[in-house]
Amino acid sequence: MAPTLVSAAVGALLAAALLGRAFDRRAVAVVVAAAVAPDLDAVASLVVPGATNALFHALWIPLAAGLLLRWDTAHRGRSWLRERAGEVAGDRAVRVAWVAIASFVVAGIGPDLFWRAGVNLLYPVHDAYYLVSGRLVFSTQEGIVQTFVTLGREGPGVLPIERLGTSATYTVQTWVNPDGRPGFSPDAERELSLVRTGWQLVVVASAAVTLAVRFRRTDAGVTR
Amino acid sequence: MPSTVVHAGFALLLAAGLLGRYYDRRALAALFVVVVLPEVDSFLGPLMSGAHRTVGHTLAFPALAAGLLYYDTRIRDRSLVRSRLGGPERAGRWIAVAWVALFVHAFAHVGLDWTHLDGVNVVWPLRDQFVRLDGEIVFSTAEGFAQTFVEIRTDPETGRRAVDAGATGTTETVHVNNPVEPRDPDEITEEPVDRRFPVANAGWRLYLIGLGLFTLAARRLQGDV
Repeated sequence: MAPTLVSAAVGALLAAALLGRAFDRRAVAVVVAAAVAPDLDAVASLVVPGATNALFHALWIPLAAGLLLRWDTAHRGRSWLRERAGEVAGDRAVRVAWVAIASFVVAGIGPDLFWRAGVNLLYPVHDAYYLVSGRLVFSTQEGIVQTFVTLGREGPGVLPIERLGTSATYTVQTWVNPDGRPGFSPDAERELSLVRTGWQLVVVASAAVTLAVRFRRTDAGVTR
Repeated sequence: MPSTVVHAGFALLLAAGLLGRYYDRRALAALFVVVVLPEVDSFLGPLMSGAHRTVGHTLAFPALAAGLLYYDTRIRDRSLVRSRLGGPERAGRWIAVAWVALFVHAFAHVGLDWTHLDGVNVVWPLRDQFVRLDGEIVFSTAEGFAQTFVEIRTDPETGRRAVDAGATGTTETVHVNNPVEPRDPDEITEEPVDRRFPVANAGWRLYLIGLGLFTLAARRLQGDV
């Protein structure tokens, strides 16, 4: 799977971009935590067969969270979240919650869906790993070349993108669970990847600099 | 090149994070120009060997610009840039946008090109050397921390150290294909010319485009432009 550090970095960039006036260290921590959370299904895979990139990488959790948040803040007379956060911080809390859900999907699930490992998007309703892979090029010789989405793909699944197999046939290896199958093996050789390739280093570096600049700015704003 | 669309997508995400209250259409339009402009070095290709990824993709000029901007706006008593830009509000705004532009250029444009094909001629004209950023950082139980972006080798006989940060060649030897010069001019072939304008040549590049579009849509939903 894509390094968790990359998810955290994209989460941090989303936090900086979308939190607006709610931006502070605590809010950033919440949004980055949401970005990292899906990768915890690697731990679950020690017990549940084929849970990595499936259990928490499926779209159901963020979908349910989004519906719940919408219902709580827009359709109920008294919002539980606003009351908990207090009158002044109510709007901030709602904003942080929305950005955290977005971060879960975009920064947590996204890098795996678009890079190498693939994601079991509809698990357990429909068990199939998907990967967005291909190219979109305009060529003067060949016209528009598009291979991301094609109908009539091989393999199990319902979406018209590359399919990698089901949780029974396809396993994702992680440092928590090196062979991807249930059962904890304390002696196994583990490899925790922080950055797998050049572009990921660029993303991580951009996030580090962005956070440094933003924190300096907010700290300066507080002291003045 | 990772296409300009990919640069623009990642640039949007970075810009939204850094522009703060200056985030609006005019600022984004200015940044878009900054993202596109370096690609103009493709057109210098026929005049100068290896111009693409050299003239517009060196970090020497942006570093110089950053130094001058810092000196003018922070150190001098009377800033030329400020007095030219008019009122303090307007000046503050465009100076902030200029800093974001420098950041976006270095990370979203040069940074991403650095990782692709033969990389970029990163400190030209101080030194003519293309480098490519490629490698990984892993922590393994067997070998501990390991990174392969910069390799330092010690010659066992002479004891001299060689640092390899992914050097790929010079303007004489490197040609990075682009729509203006779709193949190496030194190559002689009968095949018809195929100019390719990529949007996204890999899933992760589509992801970066998606990140930018998502940011744009989310900011609009939040009621900011």
